[in-house]
Amino acid sequence: MSALSIINLNAGYGNNLVLSDISLSIVPGEICGLIGPNGVGKSTLLRSILQIGVDYSGEISICGSRLSSLSGNQKARMVSYLPQNFNPQSRLTVAQTVLLGRHPYRSGWALDSEDDLEIAEKCMLETDTWDLRNRVFSNLSGGEKRLVLLASALAQEPELLLLDEPGSSLDFRHQLNMWLLLKKLSGRGIAVLVSTHEVALSGRYLDSVLVLSDGRSRAFGSPSDVFTTEILSEVFNVNLLVSHDTANRSWVIVPEMEQ
Amino acid sequence: MKNRIVSRPSSVFWILLVLSVILAGALSLLAGPMDHPPEWVIMRLRLPRLLLALLAGSALSISGSVLQSLLRNDLATPYTLGISAGAGLVAGSVIVSGLIVPVIGLVAAGTAGALLAVVLVYALAYRSRRGDYGPTLLLAGITMNLVGASILLLFEYFSDASRIMEIVRWMMGDMAVIGWGKPLFLMPPVILGIAVALTRTGVLNQISQGDDIAHTRGVSVNWERNLLLAVAALLAGSTVGVVGPVGFVGLMVPHIMRRFVGSDYRYLVPASALGGMLLVILADSLSRVIISPAELPIGIVMSLIGGPFFLVLLLRGGRRKQEDNPG
Repeated sequence: MSALSIINLNAGYGNNLVLSDISLSIVPGEICGLIGPNGVGKSTLLRSILQIGVDYSGEISICGSRLSSLSGNQKARMVSYLPQNFNPQSRLTVAQTVLLGRHPYRSGWALDSEDDLEIAEKCMLETDTWDLRNRVFSNLSGGEKRLVLLASALAQEPELLLLDEPGSSLDFRHQLNMWLLLKKLSGRGIAVLVSTHEVALSGRYLDSVLVLSDGRSRAFGSPSDVFTTEILSEVFNVNLLVSHDTANRSWVIVPEMEQ
Repeated sequence: MKNRIVSRPSSVFWILLVLSVILAGALSLLAGPMDHPPEWVIMRLRLPRLLLALLAGSALSISGSVLQSLLRNDLATPYTLGISAGAGLVAGSVIVSGLIVPVIGLVAAGTAGALLAVVLVYALAYRSRRGDYGPTLLLAGITMNLVGASILLLFEYFSDASRIMEIVRWMMGDMAVIGWGKPLFLMPPVILGIAVALTRTGVLNQISQGDDIAHTRGVSVNWERNLLLAVAALLAGSTVGVVGPVGFVGLMVPHIMRRFVGSDYRYLVPASALGGMLLVILADSLSRVIISPAELPIGIVMSLIGGPFFLVLLLRGGRRKQEDNPG
């Protein structure tokens, strides 16, 4: 059974249609990338799965259940999200922030249980944020904030993890660690849908790629099928040189020299 | 034993806070012009006044901390969203009009004015743009505040002298009570508001992280925000209707309590309630002894003592924050 299945999705805001006729299916343990130029609707696709302020038609199911049949709390136990918008001024500590990911599992007044603390600790160790645990969130750097929010998304123990450009504002080491972590999570059976602009780096870790162009699906397949000079140059509207080193499973993508 | 990864406020802190409230309450019963007040002074004047201070203090500071979560801004107060202005305008016009209204009328007028202000400010901000309307909400609230204050001044300008004295006293904060009427009518809305706020502290934490995050944790963000705005309006509105627009409590108390319990609303809301009680009792007691046997209005005492104290805190806090920041 697929962790996420989208059939004939049209999505937008009011009369402004952003995405049309998107279909996608992700199985547990698969890392699927969303690639496309700015404003093409990558975030809108993620937000329609989460039902955050997007009007859509079509069918979206998570782990076999249709979205409309799930309560907010049930969904929160299956899907978690690393957004681009969050409150950077939060005065909570890192550990408190990560523990907030346990919200769907508790009711009203509950304090943090031993389980919650253990899970939070594990998630902080995995994301390399354990040493930050007593720091105040608002005092962290942009990249550290991303990692902390990823830890809190993991504390939700999702089956499906949605990430909106997780690598932006991360340095080389953290970017690489982010992808390695996603790989590790997928090894545990978590399905991952990630929008990213790190096309070259992501090629090594993605199982499948959905390339969006003008609100439609332009190509879908494995990175070696999709990351070609022709497709990427057309989609990003830049003359790109794409070279693929199959031995090292790595891509180099650079713009052609201007004439 | 495992290392605790989060520190909770210690039980010693809570005990000290509760003891301080009790001690301050006892002191306030003794504070006043008479060395040995007769029993009726205690029973009919000071005890109801103490209850009024407990209610007003907890209501204003909880209202402040709820709004600080909703607006994701530590400087939000019942004034920022125009809640106090709305309550002040409606309750103030009732007083200016010279109608003899029972206390329940003032509670209702204050609450209605506050709710009206919130709805108006919110509708304005909501219509103006989609997405994050925090800044618009603040601007609309501040405008509401100024306009409300001006309209109230306009009413005053055209009313006769005796009314003006009455409204001026109320606007400076009037804790004087004779008998149990005021505190007893204020009690139901305040207790209801506090009860709801206490059950929503987990939600306040989520909303303080950002609407998107709260939504994906299963919080019905719009519904909860409306409920909590109504609670903030109920708490501050009913209180302002009875004791007048007393400032500073909603800003100062949550700010100070953050230093002791952090920003987790599960601890911040109850701590603010107790801290608000303590502050209002102390300010009220002071207002009775500074120029005894006469009284000073509590609003003025609060601002004169609270203002400088708060500034010192801000300056010291600013320095500490810089040290904490590695960049």
